[in-house]
Amino acid sequence: MWEFFARSLAASTIFTFAALGELIDQRSGILNVGIEGVMLFGATLGFIAAQVTGSYVIGFLVGIAIGGLLGLLHGFFSITLGADQVVVGMGIWILGFGLTTYIGNPYTGPLGMDRIPTILGLSPFFYVGLVLVIVSWFVLSKTSLGLKIRSVGENPSVAEVSGVDVTKTRYLCVTVGGMLMGLSGAIYSLYYNPVWNYNFLMGWGFIALALVFFSMWNPWILLGGSLLFGTLWQLSLNPQLVLPGVLSRYIWRTVPFVITIGVLLIISTKWFRIRWGAARPEALAVPYVKE
Amino acid sequence: MRIGRYEFKLEKRLSLTGWKAAIISIFAVIFALALFSFIFILAEINPLLAYREMFSYAFVNPYGLPLTINRFIFLLLCTSAFIIPFRAGLWNIGMPGQLYAGALGAFAVLYAFGVKDFRTSDLSPGILIPLMLIVAALGGVGLGAIAGVLKGKFNINEIVVTMILNFIAFWLVSHMIKEGGPFMNPGGRGESFELPSSLYPPMIMGVPFTIFLALGVAVLLYFMFAKTRIGYKIKAHGLSPAASRYAGISTFKIPLLVFIMGGALAGWAGYHYFAAVPGVYKISRNYGYFGDLAFYGIICGLISLGNPLAAIPVALLFGGLSVGGRFVQGQLNMSFGLDYALLGVLMITLVAFQFFYRYQIGWAKTGEERLDVGVLR
Amino acid sequence: MQTGLLEGIARGETVLEARGITKRFPAVVANDQIDFEIRAGEIHAILGENGAGKSTLMNILFGLLQPDEGEIYIGGKSVKFRSPLDAIDLGIGMVHQNRKLVAAHTVIENIILGHPRAGRILNLNRTGDEITELCEKYGFKIDLRAKVWQLSEGEKQVVEILKALYRGARVLILDEPTTALAPPETAKLLASIEAMARDELAIVPFITHKLPIVLAVSDRVTVLRRGKVTARLDTDRVTEKSLAKKMVGREVIFRLERTKVEKGKTILDVENLSALSDKGFLALKGVSFSVCEGEIFGIAGISGNGQHELAEVLAGLRKAEGGRVILEGQDITRSSSLERWQMGLGYIPSERTEVGSIGDFSLVENVTMNFYFDSNYSPRGIMDYRKIRKLTEGIVAEYDVVTPGPDTKAKNLSGGNLQKLILARVLSRKPRLLIANLPTQGLDVGATEFVRKKLIEAKKEKAGILLISEDLDEILSLSDWVAPVYEGEFMGIIPGDKAQRQRVGAMMAGSRPEGLET
Repeated sequence: MWEFFARSLAASTIFTFAALGELIDQRSGILNVGIEGVMLFGATLGFIAAQVTGSYVIGFLVGIAIGGLLGLLHGFFSITLGADQVVVGMGIWILGFGLTTYIGNPYTGPLGMDRIPTILGLSPFFYVGLVLVIVSWFVLSKTSLGLKIRSVGENPSVAEVSGVDVTKTRYLCVTVGGMLMGLSGAIYSLYYNPVWNYNFLMGWGFIALALVFFSMWNPWILLGGSLLFGTLWQLSLNPQLVLPGVLSRYIWRTVPFVITIGVLLIISTKWFRIRWGAARPEALAVPYVKE
Repeated sequence: MRIGRYEFKLEKRLSLTGWKAAIISIFAVIFALALFSFIFILAEINPLLAYREMFSYAFVNPYGLPLTINRFIFLLLCTSAFIIPFRAGLWNIGMPGQLYAGALGAFAVLYAFGVKDFRTSDLSPGILIPLMLIVAALGGVGLGAIAGVLKGKFNINEIVVTMILNFIAFWLVSHMIKEGGPFMNPGGRGESFELPSSLYPPMIMGVPFTIFLALGVAVLLYFMFAKTRIGYKIKAHGLSPAASRYAGISTFKIPLLVFIMGGALAGWAGYHYFAAVPGVYKISRNYGYFGDLAFYGIICGLISLGNPLAAIPVALLFGGLSVGGRFVQGQLNMSFGLDYALLGVLMITLVAFQFFYRYQIGWAKTGEERLDVGVLR
Repeated sequence: MQTGLLEGIARGETVLEARGITKRFPAVVANDQIDFEIRAGEIHAILGENGAGKSTLMNILFGLLQPDEGEIYIGGKSVKFRSPLDAIDLGIGMVHQNRKLVAAHTVIENIILGHPRAGRILNLNRTGDEITELCEKYGFKIDLRAKVWQLSEGEKQVVEILKALYRGARVLILDEPTTALAPPETAKLLASIEAMARDELAIVPFITHKLPIVLAVSDRVTVLRRGKVTARLDTDRVTEKSLAKKMVGREVIFRLERTKVEKGKTILDVENLSALSDKGFLALKGVSFSVCEGEIFGIAGISGNGQHELAEVLAGLRKAEGGRVILEGQDITRSSSLERWQMGLGYIPSERTEVGSIGDFSLVENVTMNFYFDSNYSPRGIMDYRKIRKLTEGIVAEYDVVTPGPDTKAKNLSGGNLQKLILARVLSRKPRLLIANLPTQGLDVGATEFVRKKLIEAKKEKAGILLISEDLDEILSLSDWVAPVYEGEFMGIIPGDKAQRQRVGAMMAGSRPEGLET
């Protein structure tokens, strides 16, 4: 049971990092639907770097770096060129999906390094994630920078006349956001499941995206959502823990996805919207053109 | 920016004619292929040689050409499945799921008629093949309708929903064809039972009849968008849901309708690949590969700017490129996934080129006076 | 930079001066050699019609535009603004007509946003105290922890003023300060403006219509016409009429003829109708009225008092929470908007570009918005674009829509031309009931006159018209019935010829007169 709990937390951590990155993006008004692509890049290149150099540190750094670069790329298209952010996100996702399949293929198989040690029996990244949730909550709601980020996401032209550099703020957010997504991918391939396989993420990034909508852009609710989905995911892999012998294991794999749709349905109801609807950054996915 | 005697600057386009758009799209493809050649260069292969191999295999070689045509049919259906919601301002990235559902639908018909256990010997293709087509479409419709209802009624982001449905459908297929699933091949290779040869669909010059389906759909869609009331409603919704609601166009029915239409076409794409392509005739173990290929439909749809007729040559080109990519990968001992890499590079290039649909580079000759200054009189 | 240039300036000294400001745009000279100056403690209004060059001048003074010629002096020193931030740093504050506030944030967050002294970690208590002090000084009342979207237009304006003051503004530019304010809010604002002027602030209101306001508070007034200064006067020496003449360049008739049309049968009956706003509160609280053939029923009110929700419920775009809507004897409370169009209802929405038209559609396709469902124009589901094109060409000619042709995209039309197109499109369906929501808002004088004339024509053709407007003069001059609306309720329904300006104004602000219930 402890093993299951620990694995669930490890899975949750991956959702937390990726979704937190997306939350920061979205709070500044940038929608990145290509999380899965960034994660695939972070996971694949981090995996390769770690295997080649034999160093976890380098692996994670590479994951973070490529995530940040892809965040910048997304930023360049959607901030500087003012492109349709959905198109750009799709582009990043398909780029990641296509290119990592090709790049990673020669490295198919297990990582072959000693496992990263746990802390008090739990994934070390869980603690890091917890700290990150606290930090991002504090920065977003209690600091001047956070106010700037939120204003840029709500109404960039107001922010601009108030003396906030919209472009710079948004670039900062997409870069940090991308780094978190890349790191999340690297945690997957270097800690959670250190085996490279084609398209191994199978939807983690998209669930993370749904999590952000579910979180009402609040890091704490996002943490709760990650825990829920991490556990669900783990459960879907080990159905025998709750209901041995019922349904095939393939049907169980669909459970987290079905529940994601259920959650999206609940948060879209009028009752929920009227209470929480104001949380959605008003300028989300709207390109900002200076007057 | 100034180059020589010309002043260059970016200007916002006021209008974009079809021809200009076509030229930009062609440039985008050429640019992507140029970019992609770096992959060959990194693998120490002459890109020109590689491209020559790719194109000649895909479009000339007697083994490659039929593959290309089959893939073209598949891609064109997927592209149409993408284009219809796209014109309504919605993103259908659920073609993989919808085509899996279509394939399951087609095989469900066979299953219901006892094909799997050879219970019936009296199978009339004249009835069963149309029935398979109908149920395949219905399978796709079922999945599409979920996304349509969730978008139209509850305004839930259709990208997340269609993508999530892809994964659900993916695992459902595994459930059906593997480990004792109802459609499992008795041979136990993790694939579905095979189509009896009496139900092989009609071929015309070695090409499955589905080509007429795909081409016919493209023409009909073109007509629909250009001339019909429903086409107008879809376009209006795509450009401004608020304004179209004001005009009396239902913001529930349009998303539902476009996803139903898209789902049906993706369902046919599933029928085509798993029940009409010579040499397959079953839901194969690597069915996920065909789901991934369906994403080429997004690229085709974007490059053709949602024009169903323009999608025809684009789908043919990309069908050929993906077939050729697979081929040279084997031929030149390259790593697996060259067609995937091409998919990625094409997509991101296209994203970059979106810019030129909105802006143009204007130029003007500057300063005749400057000329005068230089001339001694 | 610093506010230092304006420190220690005494009453009566010049704080801001513009000399020979000229700004050219491709087709026009928006500002032509404009001189302007303002002293500390002075209220100096700038007056002009739409297109007179007011907004260009305002944007130049605030650093949003750079002049082609001319110079700006602050405290006697020549300055150049590269952006509004430079202007803010030098002590110029701007109160925008379309409020520059983050709706989802609190008042205090809006005020402190981007402020150099905000610090890394926000100290909202300290800031709150400082702002409260400012409020007390000038007589503003506002809940600093409220979210901006919950505020009325007047309160939002207060937030903008506070934001400018907190930034240290000594010159305050007010863009159409009294538009969208109810009369009592206007009175409060004017009192605060005078309090600020007593405190040596220089105040520059930019005003289009409301001439009485100019006369009430300003010390001096500069009148602009076609980019040039036509007059600079001390306010105590002018009258409303003389100002208007300077502004328009001819005698202005302030009242339109109200056409009497013989009263016909009832077209619209509304019984106890209520509706929710987007935010989920009850915005329309049980209104009842009826509109007859050949009648204009005018609803006067400041935006945000439920009239927008009323229009949308009637058009079928918003669900009624309670009550009934009866159109020519048929209950249409649950009918879809399409059914209502087909039954002869026509709706001109206030959001011209977002709702009333589709920018990326050609004019023909925009006209199609009201005809695609009509089997005369789309037999058996096939669109007859040739016929609609002819219709569009007719509209363009008859309504004098300035456009290169019917295939131009709607987004390339100016506001006035777009409104003409929408109006023409709706009117060419010959609606039995026409709902016009803010039909002349933001239009120039010519287009406004044209739209009003067309409404009167529709009235003559026996349509029932529901006119929603913030412009009291428009309502009073056109309507056969006037219903002032406040917080989702009608304060009464008064026959047009008995409606007096003052009384209707008071009712718009919530006072319910005795003995005038309908």
